[in-house]
Amino acid sequence: MRQIRWLAFLFLICLSRPSASLSAQDSTLPLKSGSVRFAVIGDMGTGDPPQYQIAQRMLEFHQKFPFTFAIMLGDNIYGGKTPADLQKKFEIPYKPLLDAGVQFYASLGNHDDTNERFYKFFNMNGQQYYSFKKGNVHFFALDSDYLDPKQLVWLEKELANAGTDWKICFFHHPLYSSGAFHGSSTELRTILEPLFLKYGVQVVFAGHEHVYERLKPQKGIYYFTEGASGELRYGNLRKTDLTAAGYDKDRSFLTVEISGDDLSFQAISRTGVTVDSGSFHRPGAEQHAP
Amino acid sequence: MIQREGRNGARRVNSHRFLPAACVLILLAGAAAAQTPALSKQPPGFGDFTQRVQQYMKLRNALPNQRTTKIPAKIVDRRQSLAEAIRETRPAAKQGDIFTPETSEAFLKVIRGTLRGSNAANVRKTIRQGEPVAGVHLTVNGAYPEHLPRTTVPPTLLLRLPRLPDKLAYRIVGHDFVLQDTEARLVVDLIPGALP
Repeated sequence: MRQIRWLAFLFLICLSRPSASLSAQDSTLPLKSGSVRFAVIGDMGTGDPPQYQIAQRMLEFHQKFPFTFAIMLGDNIYGGKTPADLQKKFEIPYKPLLDAGVQFYASLGNHDDTNERFYKFFNMNGQQYYSFKKGNVHFFALDSDYLDPKQLVWLEKELANAGTDWKICFFHHPLYSSGAFHGSSTELRTILEPLFLKYGVQVVFAGHEHVYERLKPQKGIYYFTEGASGELRYGNLRKTDLTAAGYDKDRSFLTVEISGDDLSFQAISRTGVTVDSGSFHRPGAEQHAP
Repeated sequence: MIQREGRNGARRVNSHRFLPAACVLILLAGAAAAQTPALSKQPPGFGDFTQRVQQYMKLRNALPNQRTTKIPAKIVDRRQSLAEAIRETRPAAKQGDIFTPETSEAFLKVIRGTLRGSNAANVRKTIRQGEPVAGVHLTVNGAYPEHLPRTTVPPTLLLRLPRLPDKLAYRIVGHDFVLQDTEARLVVDLIPGALP
């Protein structure tokens, strides 16, 4: 009976997939040798068809832009957290990517359970917050739901000792956002931003608002919100003076390539349309001669 | 790839290197700065609470099922068996065992002071953005419901409250202030109606 229910579920997903004629968008990313390549997803763990469709788009895009890992911006598993839920809301949709060797690094959102830090596919190694290094990039995964003094001391120590050109933080709540539902997390900003500025964090990824938004650099830091990789608040983006680009009409995911001092990005919708793309030079780094 | 330990494995740090973080946090405390503890110290007035938390941890850490696992089915099993073992070890646990009346008063003073302080608008916004769920009835030794969000605890408030061991956390559920065992997903104690 359970198998029949699963088959019916998968059948419905296939039926509800966007038209096959909408092939995945070509990569606008430079695909430079030795670059750090990753995907960014947030607020995806619904287990509903749109999450599966985004996962399918990611897989298609992976053929053109072989990213090696993905960072997760929280709300990884909505609702129940049983083994069946973990399968339905993570292992099944991303199975082809997992099989292709893509590693997922999670941060926790308000809908997550702290015990997700033990889940092997989230690569958190039992930590609520942690850091890891890829090439010349140091990533810091924070728990913005519980930013206690101990975490702040840890973060400052990690940032001070990072020793990489790029420092990227990712967590659930956006410090800057034009989303109508939540908006900017101003209290977190007053605490985190001084540390980011002091230690030269260049890029911050967050979710929570169920839209995609790229902010204009704030005090020299680039902020992205990607909270629509499963959930969506249609039309919820009030484009403000903060907004550089945004998309709130469908689900999306973001892909990033870092090569030397250059970061390139491409945001892709569920239907395979590129909704934002571009590149920038690492703040503080010397400009290349043209 | 290099992966470094975070919350459960953080090493003790050299305090003077992190003075900027301490300064930021102290500034945030605003009008209550005189009462703000240093990062490494417990705020005053919570000695009894800290003792009771330590007693709970001693009891809890003596239980079996402490070993963590990465296997999904076993994560849930471990959580449930740990919660059950805690319940069996403290079957008569009731509201006020840890948040005693005196301790509750101290917490209420800090919580309400934070919600009325110079940073009150930002603090309230943080709570709202954490999507606190109202109308949920929690009980001591009861499960923190599966579908209930963790909610977001304002960092300005966390700065002023006693530090907790890694396996415990403060939660805000509706108007209640909750002490949660995060690994067992269990309500250890709560102060009903602590938040206006």
